[in-house]
Amino acid sequence: MSLNTTLIRSLKAPARPVWEEPPSKAGLIAKSGFLALCCLGVLGPLWIVIVTSLSPKPVIDRVGGLVVIPQGITFVNYTELLSGGQVSRAIMVSVGVTLFGTLFSMTVSVLAAYGLSRPGSLGHRFFLMVMMATMFFGAGLIPTYLLVQSLGLTDTYLSLILPSAVSVFNILVLRAFFMGISPELTESARIDGASDLRILLTIIMPLSRAVLAVISLFYAVGYWSAWFNASIYLTDQQMMPLQNVLIQLVQKNTEAPTGLSYAVRTGQLSSLGLQMAVMVLALIPVAVASPFVQRHFKKGMLTGAIKG
Amino acid sequence: MTPNAASAGPSRRSFLASTAVATAAVAGGMPLLTACGGSDSGKREGATSGKAADKLLPTYVASTIAKPDLPSKNGSSAGYTSKVDLATLATSVPKKLGTGAPLKVMSPFWGTPPKPGCAYYTALDATVGTKITWQNQDGNTYGEKLGAVLASSSIPDMVVVPGWELVGKISNAVTAKFMDLGPYLAGDKVKKYPNLAAIPSDSWRMSIFGGALRGIPMPAAPASFITPYYRKDIFDKRGYTVPKSADEFLSWAKEATSAKAKVWACGDMRWSSAGIFGVLPSGTLGWNIEDDGKLTNRIEHPEYLESLEWVRKLFAAGVVHPDDKANTGDPGQRFTAGQVLVYNGNGADWWGKTVEQAQSNPDFQIEGMDYFGADGGNPTLYAAQPAGIWSMIRKGASKETVENALAAANFAAAPYGTKERMFVEYGVEGTHYTVKDGVPVKNERGIQEVNSAWALLAAPAPFTAHPDFPEIARKQVEWQQRQGAFMKKTSTYGMNIVEPTRYATLSSQFEQLEIDFVRGHKKLSDVQQAISTWKSSGGDKLRDWYKQLLDKNGSGN
Amino acid sequence: MSLTAGSRPDGTRPPAAVEEPTAAVAAATVKESVTRRAGKAGKVPFRVRWRRDRTLILMTLPVILLLLLFNYVPLLGNVVAFQDYDPYVSSNGITAIFHSPWVGVEQFSRMLDDPLFWSATKNTIVLFVLQLVLFFPIPIALALVINSVIRPRVRAVAQAILYLPHFFSWVLVVTVFQQILGGAGIIAQTLEKHGWSGFDLMTDADLFKFLVIGQAVWKDAGWGIIVFLAALSAVSTDLYEAAAMDGAGRWRRMWHVTLPALRPVIALLLVLRVGDALSVGFEQFLLQRWAVGAGASEVLDTYVWNVGIQNGDFSYAAAVGLVKGVIGVCLVLGANKVAHLLGEQGVYKK
Repeated sequence: MSLNTTLIRSLKAPARPVWEEPPSKAGLIAKSGFLALCCLGVLGPLWIVIVTSLSPKPVIDRVGGLVVIPQGITFVNYTELLSGGQVSRAIMVSVGVTLFGTLFSMTVSVLAAYGLSRPGSLGHRFFLMVMMATMFFGAGLIPTYLLVQSLGLTDTYLSLILPSAVSVFNILVLRAFFMGISPELTESARIDGASDLRILLTIIMPLSRAVLAVISLFYAVGYWSAWFNASIYLTDQQMMPLQNVLIQLVQKNTEAPTGLSYAVRTGQLSSLGLQMAVMVLALIPVAVASPFVQRHFKKGMLTGAIKG
Repeated sequence: MTPNAASAGPSRRSFLASTAVATAAVAGGMPLLTACGGSDSGKREGATSGKAADKLLPTYVASTIAKPDLPSKNGSSAGYTSKVDLATLATSVPKKLGTGAPLKVMSPFWGTPPKPGCAYYTALDATVGTKITWQNQDGNTYGEKLGAVLASSSIPDMVVVPGWELVGKISNAVTAKFMDLGPYLAGDKVKKYPNLAAIPSDSWRMSIFGGALRGIPMPAAPASFITPYYRKDIFDKRGYTVPKSADEFLSWAKEATSAKAKVWACGDMRWSSAGIFGVLPSGTLGWNIEDDGKLTNRIEHPEYLESLEWVRKLFAAGVVHPDDKANTGDPGQRFTAGQVLVYNGNGADWWGKTVEQAQSNPDFQIEGMDYFGADGGNPTLYAAQPAGIWSMIRKGASKETVENALAAANFAAAPYGTKERMFVEYGVEGTHYTVKDGVPVKNERGIQEVNSAWALLAAPAPFTAHPDFPEIARKQVEWQQRQGAFMKKTSTYGMNIVEPTRYATLSSQFEQLEIDFVRGHKKLSDVQQAISTWKSSGGDKLRDWYKQLLDKNGSGN
Repeated sequence: MSLTAGSRPDGTRPPAAVEEPTAAVAAATVKESVTRRAGKAGKVPFRVRWRRDRTLILMTLPVILLLLLFNYVPLLGNVVAFQDYDPYVSSNGITAIFHSPWVGVEQFSRMLDDPLFWSATKNTIVLFVLQLVLFFPIPIALALVINSVIRPRVRAVAQAILYLPHFFSWVLVVTVFQQILGGAGIIAQTLEKHGWSGFDLMTDADLFKFLVIGQAVWKDAGWGIIVFLAALSAVSTDLYEAAAMDGAGRWRRMWHVTLPALRPVIALLLVLRVGDALSVGFEQFLLQRWAVGAGASEVLDTYVWNVGIQNGDFSYAAAVGLVKGVIGVCLVLGANKVAHLLGEQGVYKK
């Protein structure tokens, strides 16, 4: 079923349960007013960004900064960014890294979160400590680089995934949700002889769809927006993910006679307009992913999963 | 998603980076401010100059190709303002010097690097006799990358090392990781590479690290000062005259500023102010033996505080654009938009802004303001170091690799008016550019592929040439020559000095302190306090260290 | 029991039948389920525990191995905090450790003697407290508001919009704020036209603390709600229904059903946030350093960057990092203890 029809139908049929009293008028007004205000606070600046990205260079030059009131529209910033093989290849790289990375991270994280979800199990506290310590102590760039290099991972896509595959924060959140699931549910399965893996797959995970969606999103966003590792571990510019390519395309200080910056330099494009177009492009995956994640947030869809 | 996430505002360091590429891309010539670097034999700290250095230097053989229309004077770069006949370009590399053996080169890159094996790279390789695998690394994170790569045991054969990345321990790495090129270049040996031999000796002297010649320099003109640019078109329209003293500037600025009309007189003028008040440059150039024979640092001079006081007055009077006060956005953009009438930029902006505005704003006119002394008399300007970017060859590289690397550098250092220079800057005719009215114009492919990677390997003696806007080249060089008449060299000029690392952080707080003081976030007493702390916590010892160094090597001025 | 029933056309799911008692009982069960397994550990013999828990250990192992390899191994490099480390004295950065001089705790005493370090620490602590008070509750409140919206479409749209600013870079956020609140911004220009001049919120060092919180709220509060929404989506409608049957109104249901459901998550995030107290942001402060001065904007992370990393002083950066880490561990242990005292689970069980 398409998302659109879902939205349309849901609009027609507000899903207020019978037991819930109809909202008071004042409450409704206050609530919607507040939300509207929040959204406006976001949309205002977004408007400025979008308008600037669509403004022709003379307009941006005249304004001398971000454009608030549109005076002419051009898509040249977008066509310039998306033309040339560079960006489309980089998108493939980023999509690949994000997909495989998220899959890998989620697999190990869900396993670990479940493995640590029973307090008092063997090594439980020790493993937790081992994990948590990494949240507080970071290694310097040089030892990390030397490690990645000696493992032969430099100039491979694995260098964009493995060193940053585990987020202890994400595991702790997953674990908290797993632990919130009523033990009665798993206990009966265990008595029936189900293995831990089976319990995880058939009971815990279906009950945790919302948090799984959220943590997948966290990981995916992390992989999608990472750029520093690529700039350090990769030397082959043809392997660079999207973020790096976009950063290079709009470099603030660029006067180098190459690519877009040349167009900027010779007065065909405004670097500010390009930067804003990059910002807008960056929001598109979020806008696309958002409904998929939200599907898992339906109110009260999992009865009795978490107890307060 | 964070484009520019690494950027930390235009500090001196990132300013240097932008300047370097700009100048490399435009016409050879080099950044104005150069960071410190260098060393002495055995020990890494110190410097080598004077007689000891002369033995290490390549013999200077001036190039006789393409005589400049404006020969270098007062430390300026040479200017080429007449049309070059592209059909009769001279040849500076008569025979292929390279053997075609593979060579790995790592260099900083700003922009989108072309594909490996693109026509520009392969054509150059074929002509030079090299087989270069380029590692074009993002210029914004180049420092981190360089630091990590040099700490690993696999260093590329040739590495471009910008002076502004030589901070702290990284300056030690140069001596430890890169080879002495003396056996290939010292004395007459350089004659095998005529374009390298034509690089001025001052620039070569700046390439001595740890008592040996370890870098191939990108020469810089000593008179390539920070330029206070003004909007000539707006000045003319409103009938402003260009100020001739610090007080005149302030009163003009008050008159010209109108927040209501969204016009402010200037941006942050700290760099120009240093020229107006005659403050010594920062870094190792900041040490000078005064007429009374005393060795002093820039921050000890009364001019230092006077210069800052003046900028503070500008801020306090509200004539500085608020975005410059907050340091957001692009000052150049505010200038082209007419929101700011004066700003200080690098030499490349003169041409860059002109080209950028030529189509969309034909009235736009940018002009460099002549420096004036604070009291209206003559200014005192200090010479910039004659080199600030080097390409270096790793220790342990084979003879063949070294010779191929030098062949590449020799090609990249071809002087203006040669086929080789044209090749490096424009690519192949027909493939990358076409000639319109005697002026080469890059096509789509040229725009994509031709880049500054080769230009960073080495460069000829400083020159300025803009075939598309020859008038700008003339103005630029003439401006340099006028300012160069007031140029002095500090005692540390032309010396590649590495301070002992224990003093590394001693002066590092001053840039921030200056920024804060002029904006009113710090008091004068805070700066004075910092200066006396500086003295007591190592400044005086550092002075002794410099004194010994200068006694041993002789003074640079 | 059927937990995998298909979606209805309207996207909601039919409530599954689960034997769940009333709201009052539900709130109490948390503590029970937590304490239930505790205390068992010591009494059961190792072999039995091993056989019982080996699958769990096996499941945890991949993450532990990844962390050992990619976090712990390079962490050994932090020994340079006790050196004057020069990564280039030897053939590579690792052997260089053996060639660099040991200086004991010199780096640490250097740090403690540096007034800039202390002013950065002070700023960091003040900002952390402000963030905790002014920022932390906002995503929770927002989540509650959004959760109480009935129309799915309004919810979806509001959520989607509120997420967006998270994906703006700090450079852009600061630029946009400058454009609105700066001295040449929209507000200043409007005031100027009406004869008021000198408005400039972006370079006011005194208000900077609140400005950065405002920026953080704008950028990340919307994104911060999603964990809470996930928690809320898992609250049984039966609980609400039962509470409504018992005569609990809107506010009482929020108090007795919704908030208790969020409590474990809030406690977890709060404990982790306290442990991370010394990190209050980096780029945001670096970008606005010139605007308000280092005195107001220097926090520990920018301090390390400016003094250690920018100057290539790896030993000093490592030393500050170690101190930060030790404090972080102490804080998280303390916060966890407090959480236990308040009857929450925190991060781990005692």
